[in-house]
Amino acid sequence: MVATSNDVMPDIELYQPTDATNALALANTLGRDGWLLAGGQDTFGWLKDRNKSPSAMIELTQVDAWKGIREAADGGIEIGAVTTLTEIADDPLVQSRFGLLATAAGKVASPQIRNVGTLGGNLIQDTRCWYYRRGLSCYRAGGNTCYADSPEGLNREHALFGSSRCVAVSPSDTAPTLVALDATMVVASEGGQRAIPAQDFFIGPARDIINMTVLNAGEVLTHVRIPGTWANAEFYFEKVADRNVWDFALVNIAAAIKTANGVIEDARLACGAVECVPRRLQTVENALRGQQRSEQLAEQVATLATEGAQPLNYNHFKIPLMQNLVKRAVRG
Amino acid sequence: MGEGIVRYKRDVWGEEVILGVSWDLLWVVAVAVLVLLAAHAIIMAALANRKMDKPSADGRRVLRHETIDRLFHWIMAISILVLIFTGVAPIIGLRIVWLDIHWISGLILTFVVIFHIIRSLFWQDFKSMILGPRDFAEPFDSSRKPGKYSFEQKGMHWTVTVVALLVIVTGLLMFMQIDTPFWDRTNSMPEDQLGLVFLLHGLSTLALVALAATHIYFALRPEKLFYTRSMISGWISEEEMTANHDPGKWSPQEKETS
Repeated sequence: MVATSNDVMPDIELYQPTDATNALALANTLGRDGWLLAGGQDTFGWLKDRNKSPSAMIELTQVDAWKGIREAADGGIEIGAVTTLTEIADDPLVQSRFGLLATAAGKVASPQIRNVGTLGGNLIQDTRCWYYRRGLSCYRAGGNTCYADSPEGLNREHALFGSSRCVAVSPSDTAPTLVALDATMVVASEGGQRAIPAQDFFIGPARDIINMTVLNAGEVLTHVRIPGTWANAEFYFEKVADRNVWDFALVNIAAAIKTANGVIEDARLACGAVECVPRRLQTVENALRGQQRSEQLAEQVATLATEGAQPLNYNHFKIPLMQNLVKRAVRG
Repeated sequence: MGEGIVRYKRDVWGEEVILGVSWDLLWVVAVAVLVLLAAHAIIMAALANRKMDKPSADGRRVLRHETIDRLFHWIMAISILVLIFTGVAPIIGLRIVWLDIHWISGLILTFVVIFHIIRSLFWQDFKSMILGPRDFAEPFDSSRKPGKYSFEQKGMHWTVTVVALLVIVTGLLMFMQIDTPFWDRTNSMPEDQLGLVFLLHGLSTLALVALAATHIYFALRPEKLFYTRSMISGWISEEEMTANHDPGKWSPQEKETS
């Protein structure tokens, strides 16, 4: 259960395919027993604490087809899922058209982690609820209780919205960004490929209390496509965490706003770390369209963002925090 | 942790406690029920030519179930089927938003069962459903005919009663562990007690799956279809009644025809 220092790494079959066909064949053959490994920044924590013990791993970082950033015909870009966060943050094309993603990728954890951590890994990573990560048998781990939402539960980092028995949140900085950019996740398996809107890629505990994405056994997230629709819009990303580096967001916000003569034509906003999925702020978006971008407007729409919030014992602070982030995003 | 009938886990203090029923049993129950019902269907088909002709549905009709009782039956049937589907869906990996539908169906079942208990005690002929020692001779003596309900029907009713009450009581205890429009959960039930509740709920669910499948099978059997019809339209023919029941033990009213 708890990490100990006198044991050794368990035996794991390590597969290192170098092409997509082999990787998908392995994923299909091994199914749920085949742990998909990219940068390992989520995986190694689980292994070190002995709280997950996969019998086999498929390392995806040697598949060249799933690396790199390419320009798409519609003015958008396609990013391979095993592209590192540093590559994304530093890429001139991403910086020039989708600065929102470059900023978000540059805010993940620390430089060392971004050097090995991948976009796919950052999107698919498991939740950071400390009860769950400690190996307790909570709902998400197949049990029948939630330790975080109990009388003594410490739930400062947990959900304001959409909890269904489990109150864990999505920890990703890039996930709300890709929702705001209306990205599409390309998922492949031996049976073929499917493209899923970013907003539908993540699922909450009401639909699946164990998995945080719609990925099925044998499926691999191979690419992320960002359409040209939001290229060069006005972007805002902010992450509030307990420390400036190497930490997960208490709340983060990603906003893409198109304006003409100071009037907002269209907007997409999403918050992370307030729900098990990136929370798209559609009521705010609706209120923004057709309005003059101003301080007054920012004040007006901020409260819309937190309507329906159900704070736990220790996370009421997330409500004003989220409202302030919305204000700052709208102010620009 | 080890899988048998019961699954175990370590609680927050590291103690081994019950987690719930092993859901592998769901497949065991499904296969066992299918095999038994298929065997029954084959044996009945083989014996079919030895059976007497079916009694006619024509002629005078007698009232078997009042409208309110039929309504109760179908509401209960739908709620149980919805409960089974929504309860089993996450176990077999269907990603649906099941929990709200599940507890709403559970509350509906609870209310109709309470209604039925009160009505059966004060307004219905409760004695007609009592299963006494003499009823056990009925399957072995073809000259014995039952009153309103046969031995098999009484047996099914009381088995469903026990299982449904168990699933309701444990379901209500589990209901208190989730957030609802009526309250915020306290999540304070000790894990060993919670595990026991989950285990009993799981076991009663498995029993309910078996009973529902068996009940539907018999409701669709050709020789029993007139009972199913009576649960829809309320009546059976006088000929069906005299062929299957003892008028000395059950003297129903004539069904008014519209």
